[in-house]
Amino acid sequence: MLELARYEARRRLKGALYLTVGLTLLAGMYIATFPSMAEDMNLDQFLEQMPEVFLELFNIATMNTIEGFLAAELYSIGWVLLLGLYMAYSAATIIAGDIDRERMDILLSLPVSRARVLGEKFLALLVPIVVVNAVLPVVIYAGTVAIGYPIDSVDLAVVHLLAIPYLLACGAIGVVLSVLTSRSSVAQRGALVAIFGLFLFESVTIIADYEQLGSIAPMRYFDATAVLVEGSYDWAGGAILLGATALLVGASMLYFGRRDIA
Amino acid sequence: MSVIDVVGLTKHYGDIRAVEGVDFTVEKGEVFGFLGPNGAGKTTTIRTMLGLLNPTAGRATVLGADSTDEPAMIEAKRSIGYLPANPAFDDGSTGREILDLHASIKGDDRREELLDLFEPPLDREVREYSSGNRQKLGVVQAFMHDPELVIMDEPTSGLDPLMQQRFNEFVRAEREQDVTVFFSSHVLSEVRRVCDRVAILREGELVTTEAIESLLDRSGKFVRARIAGHVESDAFDGDEVHGFERTLIEDRAEELLAATDFESDADVVTEVRFTYTGDINDLVADLASYSFVDLDVEEAPLEEVFMRFYGPEQRGRAPRDEHGVAKPAGGDGGA
Repeated sequence: MLELARYEARRRLKGALYLTVGLTLLAGMYIATFPSMAEDMNLDQFLEQMPEVFLELFNIATMNTIEGFLAAELYSIGWVLLLGLYMAYSAATIIAGDIDRERMDILLSLPVSRARVLGEKFLALLVPIVVVNAVLPVVIYAGTVAIGYPIDSVDLAVVHLLAIPYLLACGAIGVVLSVLTSRSSVAQRGALVAIFGLFLFESVTIIADYEQLGSIAPMRYFDATAVLVEGSYDWAGGAILLGATALLVGASMLYFGRRDIA
Repeated sequence: MSVIDVVGLTKHYGDIRAVEGVDFTVEKGEVFGFLGPNGAGKTTTIRTMLGLLNPTAGRATVLGADSTDEPAMIEAKRSIGYLPANPAFDDGSTGREILDLHASIKGDDRREELLDLFEPPLDREVREYSSGNRQKLGVVQAFMHDPELVIMDEPTSGLDPLMQQRFNEFVRAEREQDVTVFFSSHVLSEVRRVCDRVAILREGELVTTEAIESLLDRSGKFVRARIAGHVESDAFDGDEVHGFERTLIEDRAEELLAATDFESDADVVTEVRFTYTGDINDLVADLASYSFVDLDVEEAPLEEVFMRFYGPEQRGRAPRDEHGVAKPAGGDGGA
């Protein structure tokens, strides 16, 4: 078991390292600018001028503390949006890419079930997810200590722990698109549209007082602001995301198990 | 029990009938050729047999496993090798990494022996492979776990002539080891060299299944004769004569006649070429009335047989069906 997962994991390692380097630079940039911003201006006054949709989009509570600032800038853009898009985009090629490039025939000539092929390829997505969320908290903690605004290390660890189910759920959305089409470009575009659309939809439903509708979006269950600013951990949200991931991946397995490879 | 059993296999894509009611069986230790021009439905049949496509109707079993029964097929695949038409692998992996993956799942008892024969550049990434190297890697992965049945779709395409020859010798040697080999091709000369039996597919339907010898028998003789004197263009008319061509040689007639011991006062030599599918004794009797400068009678090239199964490639659909001369008398449709 897990031979395919190991093989796919090795292939994802390089991308995971590039991603980690990129996010380290992004995090470093935000952290480095915080002291001058915090000293020279009151960002919350500036925020009061902003439309509500902006605050909801980026889940902004306060920007005058390092926690609020990072939650609003780094996590809502870097994690919720960028990493969410990346995971869905990567996952979208899991099946469609191999069919599109005619690799699936040889892969399925192996004595393995289609469900196992999909499941093990999906598991390999844990490589970028885990690498990023293991390295970045260390980088961010060290950075905040270095600028003299140290962040709470437990809260920080929890944010990155809760990011894992969120990113898995984004990957699961990509996998669904991956089994629905045989063209990887279509699946990838679909995945980007889905994540970006859900991101906007989740915020808009709050403003429009249709909050329940937004509960279909994975962004609803991952709230870095709540963890960092208020110290409240949404474990139930994480469980819901894991459940949704299992549901979407399971449904994808069933559908992929029956469809024509064409 | 047959190694491959295909019954009434039908596959439609929407309105397109890719494969229609195909029946054949392949027995253990046979090398079975699956012939047809591009677009005849060979690949669709193969991919349905392997469970990659769901049949619209009918069924296919390989090593006793129904193609739609996934658990049974997984068991069967331990003993099946498959080489698709355009074998493709992950671009960013090296040949070795890919073979290692396959080895970890299905075994690699014969990897080294195969690598000695086919030599793909194992330490290079697949993105740098030529199509020939991809094909070699494909052949190695198809045979490395010592399968009982190997299914290959156009296996020699992309291989250079030397490799093709090596491949054909390899397949013949496999047959001695009781391996069953099923492969598709549109190259008849290669089928003739390695196959025991062939099925011919045309526009999704099976035209015939038969032993290669009987195909060759029925394929007839290619006759090329230089006859002293003038021969009328209708001299060889008959149902058994195909593709008759006649050339009158006047300028070199004397020279040609002088090269033989035959005494003739003819001032012209007639060259005739045709394929003869009737009884060979009748042919000899027909020829007996002429005096020859030269006579060749040889097995008709399979390409020509093929043409008679399918009709000339260039014609439109209607005349092609009409001229299809396709249904040969001895065709048993695999029944």
